[in-house]
Amino acid sequence: MDILAYLAQGFVVATEPQHLMLALIGCALGTLIGALPGLGPVNGVALMIPLTFNFSLSPTAALILLVSIYYGCMYGGRISSILLNIPGDEPAMMTTLDGYPMALKGRGGEALGLSGVASFVGATVATIGLTLFAPLLVGFAIRFGPAEYFALFMLAFATIGGVTSGSLSKSFVAACLGLLLGTVGIDAVSSVPRFTFGWFEIYDGIDFIVALVGLFAISECLVFLEDIRHSNKPTMKLGSAIPGMRTAWRCVPTITRSSFVGFIAGVLPGAGAALGSFLSYTLEKRWLGRRGDFGNGDPRGVAAPEAGNNAAAGGALIPMLSLGIPGSGTTAILLALLLSMNITPGPLLFQQQPEMVWGLVAALFIGNLMLLVLNIPLVGLFARVLRAPGWFLMPMVVMVAFVGVYSLSNSAFDLYMMLGFGVLGYVLRKLEIPTVPVVLGLLLGGQMEYNLRRAMAISGGDWDILWNSGISVGIYAFAITLISAGLVYGWLVRQRRINAG
Amino acid sequence: MSEPDFFTVRVSGVIGDRIAGAVLLALAVFAWWYSYTFTTGFMQPVGPGEFPRLVSVPLGAFSLYLILRPGLNQRWPHRAALLRQAGALLLLGVYAAFLEPWGFLPASLIALILLIRLFGADWKPSLVCGVILTLGLYLLFEFALGMPLPDMPGLNW
Repeated sequence: MDILAYLAQGFVVATEPQHLMLALIGCALGTLIGALPGLGPVNGVALMIPLTFNFSLSPTAALILLVSIYYGCMYGGRISSILLNIPGDEPAMMTTLDGYPMALKGRGGEALGLSGVASFVGATVATIGLTLFAPLLVGFAIRFGPAEYFALFMLAFATIGGVTSGSLSKSFVAACLGLLLGTVGIDAVSSVPRFTFGWFEIYDGIDFIVALVGLFAISECLVFLEDIRHSNKPTMKLGSAIPGMRTAWRCVPTITRSSFVGFIAGVLPGAGAALGSFLSYTLEKRWLGRRGDFGNGDPRGVAAPEAGNNAAAGGALIPMLSLGIPGSGTTAILLALLLSMNITPGPLLFQQQPEMVWGLVAALFIGNLMLLVLNIPLVGLFARVLRAPGWFLMPMVVMVAFVGVYSLSNSAFDLYMMLGFGVLGYVLRKLEIPTVPVVLGLLLGGQMEYNLRRAMAISGGDWDILWNSGISVGIYAFAITLISAGLVYGWLVRQRRINAG
Repeated sequence: MSEPDFFTVRVSGVIGDRIAGAVLLALAVFAWWYSYTFTTGFMQPVGPGEFPRLVSVPLGAFSLYLILRPGLNQRWPHRAALLRQAGALLLLGVYAAFLEPWGFLPASLIALILLIRLFGADWKPSLVCGVILTLGLYLLFEFALGMPLPDMPGLNW
């Protein structure tokens, strides 16, 4: 019953006028960002972080804003998948398989309505799960010492990216690169400058917000510049979104199953929303067998991945809030926001700032409802964004990135650093080396090193402390299991690609 | 090819991956070697150089794996695309340098017009949208969001 009391307290926080307003803005903005082809949640949230600093918002308010944007992006991502066959980001990929065929048949509006409802159910299931399971995990994690935390970081790096992208070795390379970049700057323990080469601008380390905006937003623009002759987008007849709600009623079993599958995928560290939508689509396809017409515009093929990826998005918040270990690229960025506000997520956060955690959870429930209300009648309006030409949108993205990063420290150096990371991000993308592990390494490297050193200080330099407790051994075993699962997943994706031709 | 789809076009990464692997391997070796210069006066179980060394070992190992077993790359840009990207980076670099001395409005106006042109619009829409975007963003940042933007020299706005 404790949880209900906390949640009630959370609703008091979340229904403050300022927080309600921010949730509404975040939901609308997120849906817009998610709808733009190529600008997924990671880019959207990364771009918004520097701006939130300038609002001088309280951490709770900033978190509510960004998480609303995050949820909104997950909703918006489906719009371009269904109408243009262009996924806004990786999790939305599976939605194109049946969403686009539906749109071709003139049932685009119905598909959008249906996916809106499916997203709502998925996200709500996940938020309920977050309410129930996060405190449990916190109760467990409170006993973690530095050695266990070090193991947890190893788990995060062993699994992030490796599960979602094809090449495991490339995501490990990326994680190591990020960790190495994270050591740049003055060492907190001994005050020795590391890899600074006399540049005083990086004595404080590489600002990960600058790196983030460069790696995601600027590199996105460089990708866009490759081919500016984007052909005129076909204008699709939308139809009303209202029939989608009736269709959704018939898809209830699908949506329920997919929400649970997606939620579990989201909770696993490193798996994230892409795995959520992939698993729920393929499992649903297996489950229905010949009763389904997947790939040819079966409404259940739209409902399953949408419920799955939104449930996974919510599930990914659990390890982020309760352990401080992000479960996906976007939660990694939310973690960056918290860390730069001097808030360390983890079990202590639930004890020290319950009003913030529970306010956020309550805001998620409210935001979800807002998104459903915004999305069903207004989907045509959001779909219109897709017709805005790239030469208008992309320079705007660049400007927001520039002003946001400039305002962090009013220095041109940060801007050059951002451009540098933009080029790095672009090259890494071309090499198919995922950029999320780089950010994660940069972000968590300091914490990881700190915990390692604390553990070693406790043991007096004996490395055995790292694997001496049952909990750490369990975590390492779990990491190995997940890596194996990642290898199987990669194999499945390759099989699907081969089958698809 | 009517609609080039660069999301899915993948090419063999034999050359790209090997170059990247070599660069990263060099980085790992350098980090290992350089971390020995991080010395402190007092003894600690784990000194400032230990963690970078600990990271450079797997970095080197995985880079080596990248050289030996290269995977796939996305299609690398052609000449025209490379020129556009280089142009955009140059433009943004110059913009970053001029943002402070010139102030937000004039620097952004010129940068945005050229940037929109670079992103494929004709001169006329570039000029119109450049002016609209600059003013819109200025109003948004300066007044709605209250962010401090560099002022124009001699003018307080």
